Amino acid sequence: MNPITENRRHYEDLVEGETIDLGRIAVSKEMITGFAREFDPFPFHLDEAAAKASLLGGLASSGWQTAALTLRMLGDTFLTRIASMGGLGFSDLKWKKPVMVDDTITGTATIAALRRSRHHPERGIVTVDLDVRNQRGEPVMTMRLANLVELRDPSLPLVEGENP
Amino acid sequence: MTRWFEDITLDEAFPLGSHHFTEAEIIRFGQLYDPQYFHVDPEAARHSHFGGLVASGWHTVSVGHRHMVDALFAEEDRLRGEGKEPGVSGPSPGVNKMQFKAPVRPGDTVTYTLTVTGKRPSNSIPGWGLLFNTLEAVNQHGELVYHAELVGFSKLRDYRMPIGLRLYLALTRLPVLGKVLAKRTG
Repeated sequence: MNPITENRRHYEDLVEGETIDLGRIAVSKEMITGFAREFDPFPFHLDEAAAKASLLGGLASSGWQTAALTLRMLGDTFLTRIASMGGLGFSDLKWKKPVMVDDTITGTATIAALRRSRHHPERGIVTVDLDVRNQRGEPVMTMRLANLVELRDPSLPLVEGENP
Repeated sequence: MTRWFEDITLDEAFPLGSHHFTEAEIIRFGQLYDPQYFHVDPEAARHSHFGGLVASGWHTVSVGHRHMVDALFAEEDRLRGEGKEPGVSGPSPGVNKMQFKAPVRPGDTVTYTLTVTGKRPSNSIPGWGLLFNTLEAVNQHGELVYHAELVGFSKLRDYRMPIGLRLYLALTRLPVLGKVLAKRTG
């Protein structure tokens, strides 16, 4: 038993269709330019005039910052409360609308699928659909994330058809 | 790579350079964005299946993005140096696929490479094209760290706006009619 995660929810405790409220984060100008300076120094993430002239139409966060802040919300509400073993990756990430200065992002995570790992009986894979919105309820970003989670009882037999 | 859409060649590998990951920066990124114990606490991380501290996948990806942006700027400088006008990169509409393949540990050096695998004019934004990029990160042992399939906007050089659209845009700039048109198109 992993002493760090033993009291957390394990694979067996998760339910398909479960929805997690991600909470909210207000995105300030300082946060946007701070992240952009380190990871995404395009003028349209750093400079108001350049941003107005760009496809974004105003100073907006890097899409990677929106993703990182979403991950932070998912970490606080879900990933640090389950016996997570790290992420496998994600797919279909869509930046639908830029996050502008002083927008607040919020959203939900839904458990879309649960399956056992074929090669590692102690691991399960949880698929999470993320739907991130701004304070007006407009979709900002969606994606599908896959994360590993420990089984409490790895001796549990694999159910036929469980791993399509 | 900040070439005009028309000048971008497919399947040519662009080296984006390397990054050395320190324990301090792995923990700092983890504390800000991904505070799972194996990203922020070296002691606790020993109990994880990683056996020690590893970088958040989003950290390695963000550093990879920074290397891509720097390479775009370097290409822009190179083109200006040759007396050519560089192209224009736009924001990204999304990521089709991201696969984290091997963990990044403190002291690892990760090398990034970008390949444009496809391109087409945008259907939704006139004057812009879409680039389909593969970005791969490899560690100092030659192991694949992540494989990403990204989409980006790039401006067309040779785009000529259709006469109808040009007329419409000119009309929207008129004080009264412009307001009416803006309301109609919402």
